[in-house]
Amino acid sequence: MMSDQQIIELCARHDRKAQQLLYDKYSRLLLGVCLRYATDRAEAEDILQDSFLKIFFNIKDFTGSGSFIGWLRKVAVNTAITHYHKNLKYRYHVEIEEYVSVETGVTSFEEDFFTSDELFKVLNELPAGYRMVFNLYAVEGYKHKEIAEMLGIDTNTSKSQYSRAKAVIRDKIEKLGKLRSSYSDNS
Amino acid sequence: MKTKKQNINLRKLFRKKLENAEVTPDAEIRSILMKRVARKEFMYFNPAKLNIYYLGGILITGIITAVLLLSGSGNSLNLNSSDTSGKLNKTDTISHLQILQENPVKIDSQNSNKTNIKSLKISGSSKLPLKPLSSVKESVELHIDTTPIPTIIRNSFSNSILIPKVITDDKKLQSRFKKEISFIYVSETSGCAPLKVKFHNVSTSYDSCRWTFGDGGYSDKTDPEWIFDVEGEYKVILKVFTPGGKFLTSSVLVTVHPRPKAHFEITPDKANLPDDEIRFMNYSTNAVRSLWDFGDGTTSDLFEPRHVYTKFGKYNVRLVVFSEWGCSDSLTVLNAFSGSEYYIEFPNAFIPNIQGPTGGLYSLKSDESAQVFHPSFSGVSDYQLKIFSKLGIQIFESNDINLGWDGYNNGQLSEPGVYIWKVRGKFRNGEPYIKMGDVTLLKN
Repeated sequence: MMSDQQIIELCARHDRKAQQLLYDKYSRLLLGVCLRYATDRAEAEDILQDSFLKIFFNIKDFTGSGSFIGWLRKVAVNTAITHYHKNLKYRYHVEIEEYVSVETGVTSFEEDFFTSDELFKVLNELPAGYRMVFNLYAVEGYKHKEIAEMLGIDTNTSKSQYSRAKAVIRDKIEKLGKLRSSYSDNS
Repeated sequence: MKTKKQNINLRKLFRKKLENAEVTPDAEIRSILMKRVARKEFMYFNPAKLNIYYLGGILITGIITAVLLLSGSGNSLNLNSSDTSGKLNKTDTISHLQILQENPVKIDSQNSNKTNIKSLKISGSSKLPLKPLSSVKESVELHIDTTPIPTIIRNSFSNSILIPKVITDDKKLQSRFKKEISFIYVSETSGCAPLKVKFHNVSTSYDSCRWTFGDGGYSDKTDPEWIFDVEGEYKVILKVFTPGGKFLTSSVLVTVHPRPKAHFEITPDKANLPDDEIRFMNYSTNAVRSLWDFGDGTTSDLFEPRHVYTKFGKYNVRLVVFSEWGCSDSLTVLNAFSGSEYYIEFPNAFIPNIQGPTGGLYSLKSDESAQVFHPSFSGVSDYQLKIFSKLGIQIFESNDINLGWDGYNNGQLSEPGVYIWKVRGKFRNGEPYIKMGDVTLLKN
């Protein structure tokens, strides 16, 4: 088994085998990242491919300081953001007002209640802008100021999009829970 | 109602579940990607090579256009010359391509040609991306074979010949396992994780022995005891070294079934016994059968039952789940309804309807305009509300919790101002309550 360091060095020399090794090692994790930012699986896989192209051709820029996985993740996130900007004009825009929903009051969730697949689906169904902000803030842990710079929006927009995204997600998750309990009623 | 696990907020939920979530991409993505990489590299890299290709390309296209232009006038000489130069260019490109492809092939053949143990290790690891499962096996077996050499076999050269034989002939080794009369006696060959198995070496004469348990662990004891924590199939191999320096192997397969995980929640979150119908949400994993004990002497075998308790009390709810292999797990929530909240709270102001008395009936949902003075409450069984004016004269009394004060006294709207209220009664759990305070009647 090659270490990450060896793989990186070989990849920097465009060694095909090392590139395949790198792909095999990290494609699953990165697809998980891409899937969070995409509308569907096909888009996620597009982003994944673009991310790996970037990784292979820019791997010499990885300085070795900080974690390699963190770097890979960052590339994937940035690629997802470029995709988002590229596709922005083709996307169906959902008016914010449509999603102003009543606070449901449920603020805590049982961790094992939902599977990752269900949560991915919840994210996929979100309007693109909400999804970007929610992912960047909640999962990636960026600050609103940083997100605003990345997406080219106002800090306050980021904040309000995040809180609306939360409301929508909460709504969806609750429906998911209800669906499940209605299913169990029949059993 | 919370079970053992703590609830978490939305942000943490997504972070925990998705930050490191792994999704396996389709196999074809990899080949598409590698093609894209190759294409991009071709355009991107080696400007020298690029020049040759471009020169060739320009030459060919130039010649073709020349041919096309001249063929109109029907000149045969030009056609011939263009043919030969075209061929030359083609062979040029082919030789380049061959060199490109040869590189990885060469590496492979070098590895496989060597026959010593080290080279085998290398080829094993280089196969990894293609067949991860088989390569893991290989490396494990290698580990088994190489470790005992320095400790047990000291001086005889015949052993060192014997070992590579066994390693290189993998299939032979496996067939030998099957033919061998087993000298392993095992307490159990299958069970639920974590599975504790006692192994006995029943062979008669031997120098030393080595057990490898298939999960990375090993032991040199004669009769070891091993705990398999993780589910799976484990091939346990016993290797017995005879005084002559030879060894015999025997193996046994141990199957470890996953244990189900019992997990449930109770809704509503803060149930008020005995009125509320309690629903039990079953979040167990790997479970095919559930058994519930509600703690009041009743049980259920439904997956997600509902239950109504007949009286207030302390109840321990227990769930036992069984997997398809009969493995079980249980979860008991002690004093499951202790979190039930009984309360009664009053507002400090209200605005009566000036149109006339409403009668004081209200519902918690419709009374948004606060026309009726009434409590918000939970789990109240006995109730008596009295309202007094500032002078201490009782102007209202209600023994029905669903009936509040509409601000009228004998059909007359009371003056705006401060009124005193006093409430007494009992909660469902038998606890009495007495409260008093003031409320301001506002005018719309």
